[in-house]
Amino acid sequence: MSQPKIKRRVGKYEVGRTIGEGTFAKVKFARNSETGDPVALKILDKEKVLKHKMAEQIRREVATMKLIKHPNVVRLCEVMGSKTKIYIVLEFVTGGELFDKIVNHGRMSENEARRYFQQLINAVDYCHSRGVYHRDLKPENLLLDAYGNLKVSDFGLSALSQQVRDDGLLHTTCGTPNYVAPEVLNDRGYDGVTADLWSCGVILFVLVAGYLPFDDPNLMNLYKKISVAEFTCPPWLSFSARKLITSWILIPPLTKFLASYHLHQLDFMIMQIRIMRITIPEILDDEWFKKDYKPPVFEENGETNLDDVEAVFKDSEEHHVTEKKEEQPTAMNAFELISMSKGLNLENLFDTEQGFKRETRFTSKSPADEIINKIEEAAKPLGFDVQKKNYKMRLANVKAGRKGNLNVATEIFQVAPSLHMVEVRKAKGDTLEFHKFYKKLSTSLDDVVWKTEDDMQMRETK
Amino acid sequence: MGCYCSTSKKTEAQGYEEPTILSSETPCEYHDPSLNVTVSEVEALHELYKKLSNSIVEDGLIHKEEFQLALFRNKNKKNLFADRIFDLFDLKRNGVIEFGEFVRSLGVFHPNAALEDKITFAFRLYDLRQTGFIEREELKEMVLALLHESDLELSDDMIETIVDKTFSDADINGDGRIDQDEWKAFVSKHPSLIKNMTLPYLKDITLAFPSFVIRTDIEESEM
Repeated sequence: MSQPKIKRRVGKYEVGRTIGEGTFAKVKFARNSETGDPVALKILDKEKVLKHKMAEQIRREVATMKLIKHPNVVRLCEVMGSKTKIYIVLEFVTGGELFDKIVNHGRMSENEARRYFQQLINAVDYCHSRGVYHRDLKPENLLLDAYGNLKVSDFGLSALSQQVRDDGLLHTTCGTPNYVAPEVLNDRGYDGVTADLWSCGVILFVLVAGYLPFDDPNLMNLYKKISVAEFTCPPWLSFSARKLITSWILIPPLTKFLASYHLHQLDFMIMQIRIMRITIPEILDDEWFKKDYKPPVFEENGETNLDDVEAVFKDSEEHHVTEKKEEQPTAMNAFELISMSKGLNLENLFDTEQGFKRETRFTSKSPADEIINKIEEAAKPLGFDVQKKNYKMRLANVKAGRKGNLNVATEIFQVAPSLHMVEVRKAKGDTLEFHKFYKKLSTSLDDVVWKTEDDMQMRETK
Repeated sequence: MGCYCSTSKKTEAQGYEEPTILSSETPCEYHDPSLNVTVSEVEALHELYKKLSNSIVEDGLIHKEEFQLALFRNKNKKNLFADRIFDLFDLKRNGVIEFGEFVRSLGVFHPNAALEDKITFAFRLYDLRQTGFIEREELKEMVLALLHESDLELSDDMIETIVDKTFSDADINGDGRIDQDEWKAFVSKHPSLIKNMTLPYLKDITLAFPSFVIRTDIEESEM
């Protein structure tokens, strides 16, 4: 069987499976136990953050992100801290990654691509206007909600994937290079606006073309292609779409020449790229972009409280959130369930008498704790001592029987959220006595037993 | 109890194979010949086989109804898993289990049999459509069969939850099906999955089904 499941709670959140992992943070699915709402919980290790001298930058970014409330940006709801961890509570987005659509269904129609692209630019424009940059826009960060709307994740949390060096500029060390601007790749330091817009251009290309503009299995060749913006537009693109994409990552011939032959003049090339690169006002004014464009309508709720951010980063102990671990019954997986079939029990080929069994099981729709209590209540009057550990019990008869003291082991397994399987087996003693004991026990458990093994096999003898 | 002694070859039912040959052909752990099913175990299995194969049709072959009767005490009991086991035992695919097939197949269930063989057998058992993969639909079909057999009624949502959870744990590369390597990894995390691939009875079968045939073509040390 699987290991007993340990339910972890952080404050009011019940923490579940890991849904993502990075250098500095792990992201887990969690649920607000008060409202039942799902959230994504980004967990940072305080020690790592301090070791890399990133506490101040993360504090700034988290505070800024709390102020960002846009329908196309994943919301940062709150921040909590414990002795060793920082917890960032984010809106949980259920529709998967935008790029899964391309992987599964190929390129999009221009109309569909335009709708997503408009939402992406809305998000980028809104954040840039508030001094927040993404700096790592890539497929994994473009999510869809249940209604098919785009949500950009990790906006403003660039410190978790990038680092500032002594020159004060951002330097990136991670991520897929295909979406990254030339100046980022060349690691010459860059500003967030142009880097984000370059990535948006690549994303637009992938949406309408179904493949990457710059791609090469050889990393050096890939870097070169990006540096000289070497790509071709697919023939099925409309003229206006082609025009927008080309104006995006078009580099004049002089720059191409410099990039190829005078690498020591790289700064000049980067400057040229920056000069040539399209701006958000130009995008918003583009004819292809403007088609069916509806500017987002949303309310920016007045005040945003930043007390939680301050408390976490000041490390005030009175604000530490409590972390609790609760044992859960062992989860029974589907194959374990299947392996209980009588059709897979070949012992019956040999066991011609099919006498009394040494173990039996029943199902229950009652909560695990209630089952435990009921078994204990039923076993004690029958002269059994009860030992409990998590969701396992050992029942020992104080009186010796035909073959010494009868010992019975029980364990509760979770088959599904509201269904438990209880296994009751003879650990020691006489099988006939075990059978008699189980009969008495099950009579007392009427209100928690849903189906006994005999019920489950009734139809076999019909 | 009397003994039957003979130097001549006894006329056996169709499909019968020599215990000495079968014994040497039934591999066990690490395929070490010294751990093969012994001749006396094969002979004891023959006693069991005779009992099963003559329970309905007295032709010395195990028919599906006879297999079902042995497992469920009911020859009409339909069961997906019993059908799968029957099909895997029926190596010649001729609708019956002959003695040689019975011994070779049960060899996998011997306590000394190689773990690898048990894992592979379980994989083939659950690969309902024999595609070389366990697919999500197959897993769901098996869960539904188990629930039906156990007279358990669960909501569709609950069934989907059970299947999804297991599938996402087992399908490591996320291609929507479980391959042999993924199955092996999953079993190593959940060893109880192949608990029923071992029959302790096979160790003690000579006591349960003693063979009273003393054959002169068997070494004394084998007896």
